[in-house]
Amino acid sequence: MENNRSNIPSISPAAVVVAAVFLLVSVIGINWFTTFVPEVLPAQASAESKSVDELFYILVIIGGLVFFLIQGMLLISVIFFRVRDDDRSDGPTYHGNPLLEVVWTIIPALVVVYLAVISFNVWNQNSEPKAAVNMINGEETVIRVTGARYAWTHNYETSRLNPEGEPIVINSGDKLHTYIGQNVDLELRAQDVIHSYWVPAMRVKQDLLPGNPDTGGRPTEIRFTPARVEGVEYPAEYPIVCAELCGDGHGRMRGTVIVYEDEAQFLEQFYEPAIHAILNPPADPVLRGEIVIQEYICNSCHTLDSLGWSSRTGPSMNGIADRAGERVAGQSAEEYIATSVWNAQAFVVPGYTEQMAVFGPDQSDANKMSAEQLYAIVAYLCTQGEQSDCDNENSTVAIPEAIKTAFGLDVDITFGQGDSEAESAASETSEEAGESE
Amino acid sequence: MATQHEAETVRRPALSEYLRWSVDHKIIGVQYGVAAFLFFMVGGAMAMGIRLELWTPTLDLMASGSAYNSLFTMHGTVMIFLFIIPMWAAFGNFVVPLQLGAKDMAFPWLNAFAFWLIPPAAIVILLGYFVTPAEAGWTSYPPLSTLFSGDGQTLWALGAHLLGISSIMGSINFIVTILNMRPPQMIIWTMPLLCWAVLATSIIAVMATPFLAGALTLLLLDRVAGTTFFDASGGGDVLLWQNIFWFYSHPAVYIMVLPGMGVLSEVLSIHCRKPVFGYRMVGLSSMGIAFVGFTVWAHHMFTSLQPELRIPFMITTMIIAVPTGIKMFSWLGTIWGGKMRFTSALLFALGFMSMFVIGGITGVMLAALPFDIHVHDTYFVVSHFHFVLFGGSVFAIYAALYHWFPKVTGRMMNERLGRIHFVFTYFGFLFTFFPMHIVGMLGMPRRVAVYDPNFTDWNQFISFWAFVLGFSTFIVVYNVIHSYFRGPVAGANPWRALTLEWATTSPPPVTNFDDDPIPFEDPYGYGTEASAAYLDAVDAAFSGGRPTPDGNQAD
Repeated sequence: MENNRSNIPSISPAAVVVAAVFLLVSVIGINWFTTFVPEVLPAQASAESKSVDELFYILVIIGGLVFFLIQGMLLISVIFFRVRDDDRSDGPTYHGNPLLEVVWTIIPALVVVYLAVISFNVWNQNSEPKAAVNMINGEETVIRVTGARYAWTHNYETSRLNPEGEPIVINSGDKLHTYIGQNVDLELRAQDVIHSYWVPAMRVKQDLLPGNPDTGGRPTEIRFTPARVEGVEYPAEYPIVCAELCGDGHGRMRGTVIVYEDEAQFLEQFYEPAIHAILNPPADPVLRGEIVIQEYICNSCHTLDSLGWSSRTGPSMNGIADRAGERVAGQSAEEYIATSVWNAQAFVVPGYTEQMAVFGPDQSDANKMSAEQLYAIVAYLCTQGEQSDCDNENSTVAIPEAIKTAFGLDVDITFGQGDSEAESAASETSEEAGESE
Repeated sequence: MATQHEAETVRRPALSEYLRWSVDHKIIGVQYGVAAFLFFMVGGAMAMGIRLELWTPTLDLMASGSAYNSLFTMHGTVMIFLFIIPMWAAFGNFVVPLQLGAKDMAFPWLNAFAFWLIPPAAIVILLGYFVTPAEAGWTSYPPLSTLFSGDGQTLWALGAHLLGISSIMGSINFIVTILNMRPPQMIIWTMPLLCWAVLATSIIAVMATPFLAGALTLLLLDRVAGTTFFDASGGGDVLLWQNIFWFYSHPAVYIMVLPGMGVLSEVLSIHCRKPVFGYRMVGLSSMGIAFVGFTVWAHHMFTSLQPELRIPFMITTMIIAVPTGIKMFSWLGTIWGGKMRFTSALLFALGFMSMFVIGGITGVMLAALPFDIHVHDTYFVVSHFHFVLFGGSVFAIYAALYHWFPKVTGRMMNERLGRIHFVFTYFGFLFTFFPMHIVGMLGMPRRVAVYDPNFTDWNQFISFWAFVLGFSTFIVVYNVIHSYFRGPVAGANPWRALTLEWATTSPPPVTNFDDDPIPFEDPYGYGTEASAAYLDAVDAAFSGGRPTPDGNQAD
């Protein structure tokens, strides 16, 4: 009877040597790769990143053992069990070994149980809600993040009040400002499609899900605590990346986490200047406009050299003031720009598609815009050109009725020195206009 | 010349027969195979376009991000729905009835109908590329695919619908054929392992594909009929799609890989002249993978799923590594101590083991929830699933091609070109996809045309090797065409294999076997005197001797 175990060829001494060499190679290889681990991961900029990387380290060791075991067995087989093509003999009739089969079922099962347990522990530790989140000046703050095609908007709902007694909201655009040790807990909302908020340096990621805006959307949460990275100068910057396909500009949908060294630096360099700017807006509408336009996500689609925008989904804003007056017969540059900011669908530039959202006081989240803000943006864009068609000096612009209705204006916008009239008109009719006072 | 004489006695179907409606499973198998390979070339050309665009970190080749998005959307759709799944239907169709000693599939007409749904589906999907193409990825997550996409998305869904119907009909046919048409001597425990794998695959396809149909129907209704299944402002839920879609699409991964695992068991045993190690466990692990595969879908949603639901799916996902490991170790046991002949088929089978294990290891890494959170939707994932679907499925498809080409055409393929093809494919693949793990971990998300300039060097390295990989395809295309016309005559059983498809002429006659064939008692019983006698009897029955396995030396 040939069908028995003794029929398997006894392993030659050479095979033992090769196996030993391979074992050595795998130990050295895994050891080398684990030293390589920090090179293939971003900086460890959060408390979470340390435990995730430790888990990855264990995964690499176990995965490396499996890798070298299988590749080693393959290599040994290829070297020792090769025969010439004209060798027509068969190998041993060896059908299996139940004990071996049980062993290679049980051991991987135990390994995955072990991996599941340690992964569960890391997950529990990292996802547990923390007390005292988003602490600023000893108080918790709500930080809302909106993902809209193709930009992030961060809004800090602070405990400071404006002269009207309303909490001041700091809009920091695509930048999240935080400091080492702050327990960051962001409330994420998607405005159009699914996005995913990923900060590689923090090892955290969470999808933003579109919900019903009438019921407050469908907020999701992401938590992390920035940690000190040795050898880094603070404030340090880390990218925010959109990780869920969201359309044309998905690859450009990025932001920045700015980590300050401590709360004092955070307050001094970000928080207090931001509050001050909101409480004391520049009198010049052009300067106000330069601030306001950066609170919106215009940069995600448009090019504007003076602000460093370079996106190409929408038409370029460079020199817009020179062209705006000629775009639509009978419309001044101011009218054209105002209409286009409010409802870009009114005049789509040839070669572009209807992608831009409508902005106005009745819109939600990142699309909410007061008459005051619209006015500042128009004033700013009217300076973008060599020979501006806009008349920023003492001109009154006949605003189309549709915009008046949408923004609750009852008089036309007057530019230049007479801008206080427009301001008062806006503040009378719009609830949002208070911050300019 | 004896071989010339033999070639004349075995009639090959005229090429025109492949262009007509035919209910012969062998014709249909070739129709599936050639069509799928053409789509492989189309999808591969799209991959070259993707890698060309990624040569620089800015948009340059493409007019817009949308153009890039629609390119990888079509790449994924074509490769999955029009290449890998139909390609396994090709080998299943040609080989399974022969291995069972049957004259045809159980339902020949249904078989033909399932194939002929593919060309119209392909036309619908590819035409969509020319009218505001789908640009939501092959996963088509709403609301991007509902409220923000053009008509191409509707055509995409219609085409995918047709392909789903085709897949269900083909799978029912396989199940009925495998369970009912075995010869009386072949119990289920002496069935060739390819049949086990196709059976498991078909059970998955029949159970899972209706969910794809359901999801696509809801998507179409949302797009054209104004419903709001996935629109939150109308009371819908965007995660509904992800759940239904992945309830199909995760098992679909096994639809794409399990037949390849069946091929491995055949090729390794035959070309190493040794029985499959642990036959029962290999067969049962296919069923185990099929079963557990239905419980893991939400690991595709680790960053969108409610946090408290993530842990259970992490555990089920890790469990699936166990039956996969059983297969891997059993294959090692199969080749260990064997008499390995380095045919191209064996090279690609070994290449499968060498590459698929990397996909398996990264699969367990991705199952580890905290690590997945970091690399979810990054190039790490792109790398992982290409190791499974290219390092796995495509390597197995090549192994199957070199292994069964002699049976299909009666001619041997050129082994020297096969080895060159293997070397280009192996290294092209490895160096294209392995570095993707690293760019993913460093912070490059998937599906972007514009990326952080820090990753430029990595991407240029990847693109270079991707072009090498793309080039390797032309070697096999040339080999197939050259060998079809000029290859040495194969004879009935060039590999001296015991399974029944080799116990008939190459190519087999229209009715496959002249009499009812009697299978050898053990499909992988190599090394016994009985099996040698059986193989000699097969050789004698089909006369003319046989050329050496290395086709180059045959004439």
